[in-house]
Amino acid sequence: MASQPHSLSYVGCNFLRQRLVLSTLSGRPVKIRKIRAKEENPGLRDFEASFIRLIDKVTNGSRIEINQTGTTLYYQPGLLYGGVLEHDCSPHRSIGYYLESLLCLAPFMKHPLKIVLRGVTNDQVDPSVDVLKATALPLLKKFGIDGEGFELKITRRGMPPKGGGEVTFACPVRKVLQPIQSTDPGKIKRIRGTAYSVRVSPQIANRIVDSARSILNKFIPDIYIYTDHMKGTSSGKSPGFGLSLVAETTNGTFLGAELASNPQGQGTAVLPEELGLNCAKLLLEEIYRGGCVDSTNQSLVLLLMTLGQQDVSKVLLGPLSPYTIEFLRHLRSFFQIMFKIETKPSHEELQGGEKVLMTCVGIGFSNLSKTIK
Amino acid sequence: MEEKDRKKHRKKHSGPKADKKRKRHLNDLGLGDDEDARKRNPKAFAVQSAVRMARTFHRTQDLKTKKHHIPVVDRTPLEPPPVVVVVVGPPKVGKSTLIKCLIRNFTRQKLIEIRGPVTIVSGKRRRLTIIECGCDINTMIDLAKIADLVLMLIDASFGFEMETFEFLNICQVHGFPKIMGVLTHLDSFKNNKQLKKTKKRLKHRFWTEVYPGAKLFYLSGMVHGEYQKQEIHNLGRFISVMKFRPLTWQTSHPYVLADRMEDLTNPEDVRVNPKCDRKVSIYGYLRGAYLKNQSQIHMPGVGDFTVSDVSFLPDPCALPEQQKKRSLNEKDKLIYAPLSGVGGVVYDKDAVYIDLGGSHAHQDEEEEVRPNRELVQSLISTHSTIDVKMASSKVSLFMDSKPLGSEDVENQEFVMPKEEKQIDLKTGRVRRKAVFEEENDNGASGEEEGQDEEMSEDEMDGSEDGDGDDEGESDKEVPGQDLGLRSAKRVKREETTEEAGMELPAFADSDDDLEMSSGEEGETDLDESKEEVEDHGDEEESDEKESSDKQRENHNLDHRLGKKVVPTTDSGNCTAEEASDSEAEGSSLEEEEEEGLNDDSEAEESDRKGIQSAPEKNVDGVEWAESKVVEDEDGGDDIENLLKEEEEYGEENDLSADTAGALKWKEDLTQKAAEAFLRQHQSAPNLRKLVYGTVAEDADEEDDAHEELGGLFHVSRPDKESKQKANALDCSKFPVETPQDWDLDEVMNSIRDCFVTGKWEADKDAAKLLKEDEELYGDFEDLETGAVHKGKPAGSEGEEEDKEGKEPKAEEEKNKRMDKKRKLKAMFDAEYDEGDATYFDDLKEEMQKQAQLNRAEFEDQDDESRVQYEGFRPGMYVRIEIENIPCEFVLNFDPHYPIILGGLGNSEGNVGYVQLRLKKHRWYKKILKTRDPIIFSLGWRRFQTIPMYYIEDHNGRHRLLKYSPQHMHCGATFWGPITPQGTGFLAIQSVSGTTPDFRIAATGVVLDLDKSITVVKKLKLTGFPFKIYKNTSFIKGMFNSPLEVAKFEGAAIRTVSGIRGQIKKALRKPEGAFRATFEDKLLMSDIVFMRTWYPVSIPAFYNPVTSLLKPAGEKDTWTGMKTTGQLRHELGIRLKQNKDSLYKPIVREKKHFNKLHIPKALQKALPFKNKPKNHEKKAKPTKDQWRPAVIREPHEKKISALLTALGTVHSYKIKKAKLNHRQHLKDYLKRKHKEEEEKFKRQKEAKKKLFRIMGQKEKKRQKSSLKGSREREK
Repeated sequence: MASQPHSLSYVGCNFLRQRLVLSTLSGRPVKIRKIRAKEENPGLRDFEASFIRLIDKVTNGSRIEINQTGTTLYYQPGLLYGGVLEHDCSPHRSIGYYLESLLCLAPFMKHPLKIVLRGVTNDQVDPSVDVLKATALPLLKKFGIDGEGFELKITRRGMPPKGGGEVTFACPVRKVLQPIQSTDPGKIKRIRGTAYSVRVSPQIANRIVDSARSILNKFIPDIYIYTDHMKGTSSGKSPGFGLSLVAETTNGTFLGAELASNPQGQGTAVLPEELGLNCAKLLLEEIYRGGCVDSTNQSLVLLLMTLGQQDVSKVLLGPLSPYTIEFLRHLRSFFQIMFKIETKPSHEELQGGEKVLMTCVGIGFSNLSKTIK
Repeated sequence: MEEKDRKKHRKKHSGPKADKKRKRHLNDLGLGDDEDARKRNPKAFAVQSAVRMARTFHRTQDLKTKKHHIPVVDRTPLEPPPVVVVVVGPPKVGKSTLIKCLIRNFTRQKLIEIRGPVTIVSGKRRRLTIIECGCDINTMIDLAKIADLVLMLIDASFGFEMETFEFLNICQVHGFPKIMGVLTHLDSFKNNKQLKKTKKRLKHRFWTEVYPGAKLFYLSGMVHGEYQKQEIHNLGRFISVMKFRPLTWQTSHPYVLADRMEDLTNPEDVRVNPKCDRKVSIYGYLRGAYLKNQSQIHMPGVGDFTVSDVSFLPDPCALPEQQKKRSLNEKDKLIYAPLSGVGGVVYDKDAVYIDLGGSHAHQDEEEEVRPNRELVQSLISTHSTIDVKMASSKVSLFMDSKPLGSEDVENQEFVMPKEEKQIDLKTGRVRRKAVFEEENDNGASGEEEGQDEEMSEDEMDGSEDGDGDDEGESDKEVPGQDLGLRSAKRVKREETTEEAGMELPAFADSDDDLEMSSGEEGETDLDESKEEVEDHGDEEESDEKESSDKQRENHNLDHRLGKKVVPTTDSGNCTAEEASDSEAEGSSLEEEEEEGLNDDSEAEESDRKGIQSAPEKNVDGVEWAESKVVEDEDGGDDIENLLKEEEEYGEENDLSADTAGALKWKEDLTQKAAEAFLRQHQSAPNLRKLVYGTVAEDADEEDDAHEELGGLFHVSRPDKESKQKANALDCSKFPVETPQDWDLDEVMNSIRDCFVTGKWEADKDAAKLLKEDEELYGDFEDLETGAVHKGKPAGSEGEEEDKEGKEPKAEEEKNKRMDKKRKLKAMFDAEYDEGDATYFDDLKEEMQKQAQLNRAEFEDQDDESRVQYEGFRPGMYVRIEIENIPCEFVLNFDPHYPIILGGLGNSEGNVGYVQLRLKKHRWYKKILKTRDPIIFSLGWRRFQTIPMYYIEDHNGRHRLLKYSPQHMHCGATFWGPITPQGTGFLAIQSVSGTTPDFRIAATGVVLDLDKSITVVKKLKLTGFPFKIYKNTSFIKGMFNSPLEVAKFEGAAIRTVSGIRGQIKKALRKPEGAFRATFEDKLLMSDIVFMRTWYPVSIPAFYNPVTSLLKPAGEKDTWTGMKTTGQLRHELGIRLKQNKDSLYKPIVREKKHFNKLHIPKALQKALPFKNKPKNHEKKAKPTKDQWRPAVIREPHEKKISALLTALGTVHSYKIKKAKLNHRQHLKDYLKRKHKEEEEKFKRQKEAKKKLFRIMGQKEKKRQKSSLKGSREREK
């Protein structure tokens, strides 16, 4: 009999998504122990269970075993299947939480994925759908994942705590990915953004825009922030507002930042002006960090580089986020891939902080699910 | 007769004479000497039809694009691995002879017996690994997958054999390597004509199989049992210039053709359980793609394994250094074939072997055990403790020498081996047989070897090849050391490490000694090492002493090495994993000590050289050695010694560090400076360390394994959970910890240049570029006005500079000029060249660029760090450790069978359902049956599985087939290893034994991989009506319960007679009965059925063919699961046939139809046409109507006979007359026709004459009229 590939074992619920995603892509089973074992409320949370259910939906033949208390999870991956699906995400985390993993998996399905996700579209914890749409999608396009069937549509907005948003994500399948060489982020040529407000006064969006512009105008004149006021059924179940900003460079790099209001009934009320200012500053921070990929998508780009052909891929990043660092470690244990990490100290020129140049040779991954005729 | 024999004259078509003739001919035609018709007569070649022109253009374009292949990135490494040349052919065709001849041709060496692959250097840039492929189909399959070039030997006197065709078909499936045919046994043809014919016939057949024009070589005859030198030379030339195209499977998977195998199992384990799983290291060139550590591999014939460790070794058969000469030096013509017993000195990770014997030394025969190998042998196979073993183990330093035991080293005496001359009865050669005292006491006196080249097989085992030995000797001779065994290179490295780390390596060595030698020796060694440590303390005071000490140390070292031969010190080839391990351990175990060491060594370094080179590395090396020591669990009591010593050592070390600090305070300064420098330099590694370094190993189970070492050490690692917050929030956002105040100007300025409004880099700044362009194009002369416009002189400021700055300035200017030129050239190119660059060209260029980048990216790094990033690259000579290998692999090792390690991609180690497109081979005589086990060769693997054949219906349904179709593709699904789509496969019924028939049963390609299947088979449920109303009937017997009926409500049903209907609802009373409606009334005799589709389950049977585990000589007898047919045949069980399935003669009853009865009323209503015509029966003819027969009288008879005769005569006459008349008429018509023709001719002549006269007249008239007109003009 074929020897089962030795499984990997981890402790704790952190980086659950990474582990499951990488396990699915590499075909190695994973075992996660001691999930919140010492907490008052042990085991997997709702949103994690929902995530596992989502993984189960998009794959075929995966085996998931969870013990009685939910503190141990064994996942033996199947093959990615895809197709037309629907999923109700837990309102504890936003859709971004689920979408980030789907972005990693979607290009390698058997059938093109077309999924409707329902839940919270924007919250304060996870990258919102707006930002992912503006930054992650162009990133995937660089790897050759492109075409008509590649879109992320926000049909309804839902704010925490009740959610009620709806997002459609469709992605074509690819057999192989192209290697990328993006070492020059280019210069920021324009800033775009969306100020959204649901179930509050439509004026709030305008107030956000004004305050954000007041800061950004000092750097560049080409700014346009759309105001998006959703009404009726498309406005979800809870009130809220927020702003997402994206800076686009001459070389097609997208850097995003966002901020959302406090959920209803939690924390103090946030002034729209303040939110606009803070969000603009966050964008400036992101620009200071720089790189060809913004901090939320670092792990995505590294994954896609790893899954490329056996060619050298290079990307310039800002400082590595803790999430990315852990992701790199996971990449090594799942794919035996190590990145060459070179720090590029910032020059005398005024271009923000230190950059990191990541280089790797792809593992020559090919989509094993896709059918040939 | 003579005329016929004479040769015909042939015209000359070329040469000066022919040219002259042609020219004359052209002149005669009045065409001048313009030979090109196109130039001579341009009109004839003008565009006649635009449409046709367009068509021809399209056609040429089509043909052009047809030739294109999708461009792929060229991933061949700079130093490619040896080309695998597989020599195939049926038995007794001359494979081994050819290999021997080729080796002799390339290396001038003669091998007696060839086992396993032989690697040779064939040219400045090419190496070859030649391997023979036996006729076992397993071997053929395995080797076809890794072959770059196939030499296909064909016995011309016999013709093609099945093996040849089978191999060709295997090749076709697994990617087609280059194939070259070689015809042998051509000398058996006496008749030249027949020879020619045979050659031609074989060539054409070969061409149809491979491709038209494939190279076929002829080896005409043998000279002294070898092929003719010139022919072999030519063949070699062909091989060494051949180009190969990359094959998909090979370029996407790493693989190793093993040329050496070692068993590393703990002998204690083997002693306890001889059948325990083994740990094995395998050596060979890595080919194909990058190999990662810890990755999955498959060994065809053995199974799937995980690589437990990979390391790269120096190339044993390296390409020569770059040289200008065209041909190779004799010295560079290396040969490496450890399995055949050729190879010279071999460096391992943990040992140096000077042996020539292969790793097949583990075969149980006692006489096979060579004295050279005895040390290793004894370590492996004896069942006693290591101390005893070390004491008793022996090694011989030079070939033919008596092996050294530990006691011999003390006396330093050599006992030369006795040699025995034997005269070979067959060849009359003088052969020398090395006889050792243990074996044979009657040995003759020692004698140096002369011509080892001609040693027989058994001698080869005992001693090494002459050439290899020469090389070895030159390496071995360490100055001043008669016992030195290591290569010069190795010693040099040792020295350098000692320079850097001073006392450390010695310490490591002494450990090993301790561990390996008996207690007595251990003590002496301990003393020695102590001495050394003291020595180092002294060293710091005077340099002279230092050097002498060093020398002495070398002596010591080498001395000890001489004794042991198998030093287990660092080999410099520690793998990435180990390095990180050692780092990690170092940090956790003895950080303080390490620091002390570090400081110390740094101090010394800076003092001695003034340059800080790489203290880090040294420390790593030391730590590695230490960790190695720690890891060694063999001798429990030794470890205690070790531990003690370590402590002592530590103390010594501290002491020395202290003294150093006290004595040379100045050192601190340089050291600090160096440290600062280092810190600056190490910012990158720091980040690396942050990501990869300080983290404990990835998998927890590995941690567990390291938790306790030898039951003594407990590895304490920094608590992982505390660091990473195992249960923290899982979020990819990177929150800003210390937000900057973006209102401040300085802060805002820090990102100014990130925007387009900020400052641009010099090479992109629009303003600057414009200016440069102005400089470029500044100079021009206005032709109309004659005015000369001058651009700003580029270096005008430079000229004003003073003279010191002139030279660099000039340089700069030169660069600038070059830049300008380059730019201009690029512009020119862009304007003129790029214009017609097609999409294909662009794509190709892109690939080229990528290939360049791939090569350049890690070029400047040393192999060790490179290996970490890319994995082990193809072309490296690697050593792969694999654990848990079945013991049969080692016990039944046969070097004649190739060992291949095929790397598996991600999830290729998993199993699932695989869908194939399959076609039975047209030469296979049977058809294949669903659920019959069959052996597939797919990817690297050979395995037995149970396929199900299906065909796809028009609506996409996969319908199960009982048998594969004869001449058509069908689908097949089986449970087995997941292999990428598009991979070819072949199927064979059995790999054992030989059959005269063609063995390949089917071929095809993988289409899809899944974890579930969709194959269905037809299931008809039948029922019978038990109550019939008009169109409604009650049906029973189809289901068993109302629930079942409920599931099928609304389903379509049908009777056999074709009446369609639908299931309505279950009935209460008979269980499972239901009400159904039909389009017509049923009969009670009708059978109702429903067609359903039932999903088929596929048996999860996957059984790898473990042919390599079979005992030697039985490796081609692997049998797996048998088919039911086979079992039945073997056990003599006849199949019980269903009586209903038997064919019987069909007896059809005569059918009686009742008369058609039409009611009277209806008859009346019918139109006349359709009315039954009931004619009254005619009455019998009456007497008057009835005529009686006439009976003649004799007279009357006579009269009538006469009349008949007369009539006959008359009719004959008339007939004759008619014929005559017809003939006459025919003749007459002929004559008339002739006359007519003549008449016509005459008339024509006359007419012609007349017209000519008329024409002349007309001409004259015209002439005269012209004249007249001219005259008129005048």
